[in-house]
Amino acid sequence: MPDVAFVLNGQPVEVQIAPHAFLVDVLRDRLGQTGTKVGCGTGECGACTVLLDGRPVNSCLVLAVRVGGCRVVTIEGVAADGELHPLQRAFMDCGAVQCGYCTPGMILSAKALLDACPAPSDVEIREGMAGNLCRCTGYVKIVQAIRAAADELARSSRTAFPGARRGS
Amino acid sequence: MKAFGYMAPRSIEEAVGLLGRESAVPLAGGTDLLVAIKRGAPAPEWMVDITGIGLDRIEEADGALCLGAASTHARILASDTVRSRFPALMEALTGIGSPQVRNLATIGGNICYAVPSADSVPPLLALGAEIEVIGPAGSRRWRLEEFFVGPRRTVLGPGELVTEVRVPLPAPGTGTAFLKAGRRKAMSLAVVNVAVSMRAAADNRTADGVRIALGAVAPTPLRAYSAEQLLQGRVFTADLAEEAAMEAAKATAPISDLRATARYRYDLSKVLVKRAIMKAWERAAGPGR
Repeated sequence: MPDVAFVLNGQPVEVQIAPHAFLVDVLRDRLGQTGTKVGCGTGECGACTVLLDGRPVNSCLVLAVRVGGCRVVTIEGVAADGELHPLQRAFMDCGAVQCGYCTPGMILSAKALLDACPAPSDVEIREGMAGNLCRCTGYVKIVQAIRAAADELARSSRTAFPGARRGS
Repeated sequence: MKAFGYMAPRSIEEAVGLLGRESAVPLAGGTDLLVAIKRGAPAPEWMVDITGIGLDRIEEADGALCLGAASTHARILASDTVRSRFPALMEALTGIGSPQVRNLATIGGNICYAVPSADSVPPLLALGAEIEVIGPAGSRRWRLEEFFVGPRRTVLGPGELVTEVRVPLPAPGTGTAFLKAGRRKAMSLAVVNVAVSMRAAADNRTADGVRIALGAVAPTPLRAYSAEQLLQGRVFTADLAEEAAMEAAKATAPISDLRATARYRYDLSKVLVKRAIMKAWERAAGPGR
């Protein structure tokens, strides 16, 4: 059984795994990080989305043996210093969560989107979220929440860097 | 999940050696292969990971865009050359899977999996792409038209590995377009997909270098040669585009399945080919050329 060592939510971890083990199962069953959900198991629904070296991937399709040396971020690693991420607050404030099963994957896809494209249009939001299915909300509130979080992030970066150009 | 072994070679030579074993298959993004195994397809004894052997280069060389076979769709989409010179390829790759899938899935995988609906294939056919293969007997190069044998079947022999997709840089004044009809806007397999590449001759009225390719309408993606001939060297008109689209549909041999009937695919082929020709011509000869 190979050992795989990677950085999970900023912390180095090392775990012995079977070569055919998928990342989502290692996260949930071996490392106790159950925020990452299994929906379809075949890369359709996005409930298992995690960030691998900053990019969203379906952790149900990634062999755990392949993440050696990589940075993995799950929903457990999105809040910083006990403060919820603006996306997490916006999902609650906008009512973008109903049953909640898709939410961890939604938040990670949205985070990847905003990291790459801080001021997305509604079309860009919908394209960025195309790999995450929600069977409760109908997506309208999810799009609203992501837009609200983008606005909040833009405001706080202006506060943090008062010299920054407006609207950038 | 069925058990299999995993090997991560560090060079192409090492990978070819490992793939020479019986029951070893190359693993790239895994978005088709691993899903198939999860759904009950037999697992190989060994997975040979080909994502760490230098097959992820994206570069211009010798008048061609060279895409390493293990380049992910997301990385190809981020390439300036693709964005500026290969709009049809960009349009096709943008519609493959989801952002998560495009971060894993590779161009070589999309081609080698050889499903008739593969979205990357019609634009690559229309652009005259070639496939570089390495194997126990050395390397060889295939025209993409000759690469597919049937649904999920290619010319690749035991132990052979696709290393690169070479796409000639389009001649100046070339317009390309890709259109796809699926059941949804996103995360959808093509019911029909079409790509066209053509250029306007010096008079800006005559069609030249015409290539028309269709997917999901036959056992393999195909070129509509007789439709191309109808346009080639003639003064372009919308009526001629319509005629070529009718001719292209005749080259199809669609099946009925849960996504569409054969008849619908046939009719849709005409509509999409006509629209793709008009769009490619507009890009070739229009005011924005």
